[in-house]
Amino acid sequence: MADFVNLYLVNGIVLGCVYGLGAIGITMIFGILRFGHFAHGDMMTAGAYIALALVWASGMPVLWVLPLAMVLTAALGAGVHWAFYRPLERGTNSTIIIVIASFGVALMLRSAVQLFFGVDIVTYQRGFQTPIWIADTIRILPRHLWIIGLTVVIVIALHLFQTRSRLGKAMRAMSDNPALARISGIGTTKVVIAAWAIGGALAAAGGVFLGIDTQLSSQMGWNLILPMFAAAVLGGIGNPIGAALGALVVGIAEELVTYPWFGDPLISPAYKSAVSFAILVALLIWRPTGLTRGRVF
Amino acid sequence: MTRLLDARGLFAGYGGMDILRDCTITVSAREMVVIVGPNGAGKSTAMKAIFGLVKIRDGRVVFDGLDITNAPPDSLASRGLAYVPQEHNVFATMTVEENLDMGAYTRRSGVAEAKSRVFELLPALALTRRQRAGELSGGQRQMVAIGRALMMQPKLLMLDEPSAGLSPKVLTEILEAIATINAAGVAILMVEQNAKAALAMAHRGYVLAGGANRFEGPGRELLANQEVAASFLGG
Amino acid sequence: MDPSTLGLILYGLGLANLAAIYAVMALGLNLNWGVTGLFNAGVAGFFAVGAYTSVILTAPDSPHFLGGFDLPLPVGMLAAMLLSGLLALAIGATTIRLRSDYLAIGTIGIAEIIRLVLKNEEWLTNGVRGITTIPRPFVGETALASELSYLAMTLAILLLLYALLEAALHSPWGRMMRAIRDSEATAAAAGKNVNARRLEAFVLGSMLMGLGGALFAHYLRYIGPEATEPITTTFLVWVMLIAGGSGNNRGAILGAFVVWIIWSATELLTRQLPAEWAVRAGYLRIFLIGLLLQIVLQRFSRGILPERNPAERGAMGPQDKVL
Repeated sequence: MADFVNLYLVNGIVLGCVYGLGAIGITMIFGILRFGHFAHGDMMTAGAYIALALVWASGMPVLWVLPLAMVLTAALGAGVHWAFYRPLERGTNSTIIIVIASFGVALMLRSAVQLFFGVDIVTYQRGFQTPIWIADTIRILPRHLWIIGLTVVIVIALHLFQTRSRLGKAMRAMSDNPALARISGIGTTKVVIAAWAIGGALAAAGGVFLGIDTQLSSQMGWNLILPMFAAAVLGGIGNPIGAALGALVVGIAEELVTYPWFGDPLISPAYKSAVSFAILVALLIWRPTGLTRGRVF
Repeated sequence: MTRLLDARGLFAGYGGMDILRDCTITVSAREMVVIVGPNGAGKSTAMKAIFGLVKIRDGRVVFDGLDITNAPPDSLASRGLAYVPQEHNVFATMTVEENLDMGAYTRRSGVAEAKSRVFELLPALALTRRQRAGELSGGQRQMVAIGRALMMQPKLLMLDEPSAGLSPKVLTEILEAIATINAAGVAILMVEQNAKAALAMAHRGYVLAGGANRFEGPGRELLANQEVAASFLGG
Repeated sequence: MDPSTLGLILYGLGLANLAAIYAVMALGLNLNWGVTGLFNAGVAGFFAVGAYTSVILTAPDSPHFLGGFDLPLPVGMLAAMLLSGLLALAIGATTIRLRSDYLAIGTIGIAEIIRLVLKNEEWLTNGVRGITTIPRPFVGETALASELSYLAMTLAILLLLYALLEAALHSPWGRMMRAIRDSEATAAAAGKNVNARRLEAFVLGSMLMGLGGALFAHYLRYIGPEATEPITTTFLVWVMLIAGGSGNNRGAILGAFVVWIIWSATELLTRQLPAEWAVRAGYLRIFLIGLLLQIVLQRFSRGILPERNPAERGAMGPQDKVL
């Protein structure tokens, strides 16, 4: 039982936090801009490496530079939109064209990271952390506590923003019904920039947390795309809290299928990433609107 | 009376095709004007063109003294022109109250007062204020759609087939609500499939066919007009 | 002939061979995207499946992977197409009726699964080490003759495919496909089974990608799981199609040759640099090709050879988004 919680459940939750921060951005962009942002994983990579650069420059621990990294990645998100996606909005078939462009942006972000940082694996800090014991059986690493705690804080803050503030509600309105939002006088520009800024900031947090939990590599973000999309669809497209919960499900599921339930894990750990794919396909066949009945578009 | 809305000689449509041909619609302050006609006559297109949702190729739209031809739709809410589309006219995932808040998005102040006035005009709304708009019945949803549009205290409220898909009882309620709003001083421009009921309560009516004006006159007169009744009003 | 000229010629023939193979895949992608408007983001997956299928069926026996069938090359290639087609059918049946982004993520997913299988099922594929005992036709003669013969084969296949596809596009089937791409609502209203047609185009296009994979493996006599790497396969083929002119077969072929030449030329250039610079320049290369795609999408969205008849695309109707 202790092993189950310590080695698998906690890991699943931490993974879910990383997926969730990215999935929220993906679902927001899906909702407000109506396209699947395939560069989002690499945006998380960029955020993680921006934080790394800040750590090297300042000598401070990564969690201290996280806010600045989030701000810079927010700007990156808005910049990417302005340079590469916005110019394509007017053409015919613009959705697919923009999705294709996002693949190109993913590649550009990844190769830019490789250009400046190389492909070797890096970490934010070295050394081991001593685990914290709860009730003599549950063991949790301090960094896991930080990741989970900060994610919860971020998600709550986002929720409050979306339900209490004028801009937040405008974002929900635009995600819900863009035509009616326009008719009501809600200007698209502000909402769109907010979506990219928030998406970028959360991506940075997710990337940093992944880097804290494991390590940094130029592929780290791209590998998250499948589970994040699965989480977004699971939670109902356009629903940020749904995406966060969906991500938790995906993360825990991924860990649980490798748990030795009957002596052997359900599937080989090498196939962990197939889990999110299976979830996604199942959803697309039976329930594309996800658990919270979001829009299918 | 001064003309509040003066849309003249409109040619408009999608892509290269004109749906409206030399169409003219005017509304004066506090007036209730109704647009009727057979399917495909361009009634909804006329309204969308006025609101900048369909490109006007030729012609002019002047509202409250301002030329708003092809103006971006999000600039019109704060000018006193409100529009209720026929479909997808509420924020389904948001509560009734939030829908009203969104209606008042461009307001800097006075949202609470505007909200209470809307609840006065549409009392049924107050009961459902915390419910998600998407979970309401057709008639309740329509009330929310109208309420949202009223939050800016518009001078002219445009409605595209408000009775669409509603049962006769609910239809009557909606039309009564619209009459109340008009009585409170808001001009109404309404496209209605249910021509008889609409013309009966309107000050003036337009009959469109093939994207062009065919008849115009006081509502009751059009209702009594045999030619109109036979050709366009159907049942 | 002196060795440096021979070397140059051999290099050029190698370039042409690979360009022709990519052209086959670009034709397949054109079937998906240009003709039918489907976003296949898993080109690499179908490519890899085709490659491995043909290799496994034609390679001699080996303790490292599942070999020993020793079937002739044409059988291998046909099997490659068949298996890619079946895979496309499986994934397409579930996602075709949904939005393009969902098809994209579905195809990404399938490519990922294929990558995992190729990497982990060592009994089948020799895992990350790849397979090197691949038969190749026209071998045993001089290098020049061998390259020329292979090129003749790939060009023959390419021209045959081009002819077939052009005939198909000008047929009633082709017109219907374009009608579905340009206005699905109208086509559906006219009683066409939109999803069945789309699935057809998706499967056929993926089969061509599988064929490309087989041709590739037999040419290089090596295949490994990095064949599923999205950059050199999926992404490059997309750039080829869009730059060359999506929606038409000539553009697809032209794009394949042009982009492949640029890609190879830049690789030559970066190899001339000192080692550490060469590595960095490699990443810069990828960055620039990504940037090239953005520029092409923004400025030259029609590609070098635009689709012949823009008027054929039909006038916008009321069902097109206005709000």
